[in-house]
Amino acid sequence: MGNLELIVEKHTERIHHGLEALPTLRHGVPEGLGNKRWTGELILATYEQALTGEIPENGLEYKTGNSGGGFDVLGWKSHAGVAKVDEDSVDLSISLNKRHEGRRIEIPLPIYGGGMSFGSISLNFMIARARAARKLKTYTSTGEGGYPDQIVPYRDHVITQVATGMFGVREETIQYAPIVEFKYAQGAKPGLGGHLLADKVTSEVAKMRESSMFTSLYSPFPFHSVYSVEDHKKHVDWIKTVNPRALVSVKVSTPTDVDMVAIGSYYAGANIIHIDGGYGGTGAAPEIAKKNIAMPVEYAIPKVHEYLLSEGVRDEITLMASGGIRTADDVAKAIALGADGCVIGTAEAVAVGCTHCGNCERGRGCQVGITTTDPELSQFIDPEWGEKRIVNLFNAWSKRLRMILAEFGLESIRDLRGRKDLLARYK
Amino acid sequence: MQRSELPEQMEGGKEYHRFRIEPKPAPHVYPIPNKFDVSARKLRLAAMLVHEAFEYRLNKEVVLSRPCIYGVFGGHFGGFKPLKQKCVGCMRCVQEYPHIMTVKQSDRYKRLGDSFWTPENVYTVWNEASTGKILVKGMGYKGAFAGEGFDGMWTDMSEIVRPTRDGVYGREYISTTVDIGRKPTSIDVAKIDDQPKSLAIPVPIIFDELPIGTDKPDVRTAVKLAAEKIGTFNITRDTRPSKSRVSSLLPIIDEDDIAANEKNQPRIVEFDALRPDFLEELLSCLDQSIFIGRLPLRENSASIASELARQGVHGLHFYADYHGRDYSKDPRHVSAALKHVHQRLVQDGLRDQITIIASGGITLAEHVPKAIICGADLVAIDTTVLVALQAEFNGEARDRANHHLRPRRINPEWGAQRLVNLIGVWHDQLIEILSAMGMRDVRRLRGDIGRSMMDEELREQSFKGIAWAT
Repeated sequence: MGNLELIVEKHTERIHHGLEALPTLRHGVPEGLGNKRWTGELILATYEQALTGEIPENGLEYKTGNSGGGFDVLGWKSHAGVAKVDEDSVDLSISLNKRHEGRRIEIPLPIYGGGMSFGSISLNFMIARARAARKLKTYTSTGEGGYPDQIVPYRDHVITQVATGMFGVREETIQYAPIVEFKYAQGAKPGLGGHLLADKVTSEVAKMRESSMFTSLYSPFPFHSVYSVEDHKKHVDWIKTVNPRALVSVKVSTPTDVDMVAIGSYYAGANIIHIDGGYGGTGAAPEIAKKNIAMPVEYAIPKVHEYLLSEGVRDEITLMASGGIRTADDVAKAIALGADGCVIGTAEAVAVGCTHCGNCERGRGCQVGITTTDPELSQFIDPEWGEKRIVNLFNAWSKRLRMILAEFGLESIRDLRGRKDLLARYK
Repeated sequence: MQRSELPEQMEGGKEYHRFRIEPKPAPHVYPIPNKFDVSARKLRLAAMLVHEAFEYRLNKEVVLSRPCIYGVFGGHFGGFKPLKQKCVGCMRCVQEYPHIMTVKQSDRYKRLGDSFWTPENVYTVWNEASTGKILVKGMGYKGAFAGEGFDGMWTDMSEIVRPTRDGVYGREYISTTVDIGRKPTSIDVAKIDDQPKSLAIPVPIIFDELPIGTDKPDVRTAVKLAAEKIGTFNITRDTRPSKSRVSSLLPIIDEDDIAANEKNQPRIVEFDALRPDFLEELLSCLDQSIFIGRLPLRENSASIASELARQGVHGLHFYADYHGRDYSKDPRHVSAALKHVHQRLVQDGLRDQITIIASGGITLAEHVPKAIICGADLVAIDTTVLVALQAEFNGEARDRANHHLRPRRINPEWGAQRLVNLIGVWHDQLIEILSAMGMRDVRRLRGDIGRSMMDEELREQSFKGIAWAT
């Protein structure tokens, strides 16, 4: 074994050891770890769940962050007097196609993976996510950076994303996909299109995106072919022509008229409306966009849910929420606010060692090999190890979801949808 | 209307040039504190090295390979003397060696600013002034869910509306030009030469007068040069007549200054608007100038604004304190006070006739579009200028007369470039916001509260039906 391999092995082993040791709190919660949204404790609790597949029992806060709003000021109403059901009998499955026509797709837990593109994340992490999606019988999304060959074996669990840059969108990548996702906008940078800075555009990434090496890529905004719901309908028809079996998801951000956007997507034929709130994750975005444009998803979910109800179409479209969903409790709260399920990105990254430090925009920025295109750093994520961590995390989340539902006497996650009356607010 | 004298247009004759402020690096002259403090328990570090030396059979390259990709341990003494200035807080050293390493925000960093200016905000302005580039970072937003004033407000976006964007500058043109002065509500052909006066500037940002005691010659020169380069104005108490009418100076004048300025009348002047008798005198003596009444934001600002607009003032400059609080008995955030003034003028049918400049608490790029949404036409910045020039906070900076800001000695050219960079990057960020909203002109943003979202309102709407926790 050469020195380079030894060095990678040494640091991989140390990182793995640290991810096990830190949640034990033997060394306390590291002072510099975390922030208001992802607190140090929440990060450690995620490491713990990714290690054990169990709900943390050592006092670590695993339910909420400390942002002072949104999910962090919502709790659960007392369930005293409610007849509890058996946790094992609770059904967490949701349907991704509620229309009367088209392919029936159900996922056994109300979660699938969000778009993280090749280039913004390492190939190994991408494979780990795809493997985990296969194991969990759910999905992960390619993001807008194309469809690497190494992902093809997992294609039955991979959503092909069609974003404004159209990177890697080819007939076969549409035909592979059980679900095709149009990304109209992203919560972390609403109205701005994707950013991949020059550092990360290596030869492989440039080849996949048919661009030049080490040149920053800013995706257009909006889709230059879509300026109305009718144009959007043409997009949906295009996908259905290329792959009639695919379900169509429409990922949008959360403007004031997000409810109108949702209904427009429904009438255009979408199966899934995916709303990505203003506090969503990203590989790179202007700081000004992250906190100032579009509303947080906590406020958008009820708006969309209630509007679709009032229009009488709520049971014909699946509403998925993302953008700041960090925990199982966040998932349950989002569903109680009106979503059918949630799309997860950052929590999967935290499961494999992310510290939410926010240096992902650089080529060698990610210290643990998640959001990097550096060949050496990428090796820190072994796809099999990453798969295990992600599967464990979602197993722990499933347990927590079952616990919440069982305490309220609900036998299915579908019964939680829109049950705001089970929530309690602190602000 | 006078057109803006944009530098590109002046140099390029009548050729069309898209307005853009070119940044040039203007690195910090005075050292800035490290954001993070990295330290190692030295005995444990030594023990670990010995242990690894055995484990890897004295393979120096492997043993000494460091758990940092940013070079914090790249100095001669490795972890024994970390290069703290290189730390970005990624925490890998703590992940690998939690029993040895500690990373936390440095005490000096935490002491930056005052109770309003957070360390993060000071760092942001420093970065913007130094590079002139929009800060692009990974991961999502990390801060509080919402807050008071501008922090409890989100701007709207549009999924599919033009202007389109391709890359950073390859987008359809978005105008950030605003008019200063009084605008006609109708055209009277008989009085076509007697139109109200106004002029246009390419960005909705001007430099306000500086806090008392900080207006040193080097700082003053830097601000003046920056205003000239950008094509905007700087408000000053220096009322000596300017040699050129195209000066960037916007003097605050009183009676004693009128005579001296009559011959070479400034394009715009500010005056104390709490003395309405003075306006009449100004209107008759300085007939070529645009008059902006300067007054503090208070409970009665809306009615005063309405009265002054009727009397013929061309514009009003409302200022809050440096923490963005107005001067009411029960202080409100500048955003709330501005909305009140704007809405009153709209109700009275006067809003389109005058210009409103807002200042106080405008410290970040996002405050510009948000203040405009609340009803301002443009903003003036104050403490932000000094922060960009690396002034020191020695306590609270509450308002012009009550502050503990100490400017450093600077090279005026360097200072001007820092301010040009700052305004340039704020201009770029304003364009990002307008682009996301599908707007081509910042003038359309004024008072467009419907294209914003307020935390309090959304919370009540969306959390309706959720019981309070007991």
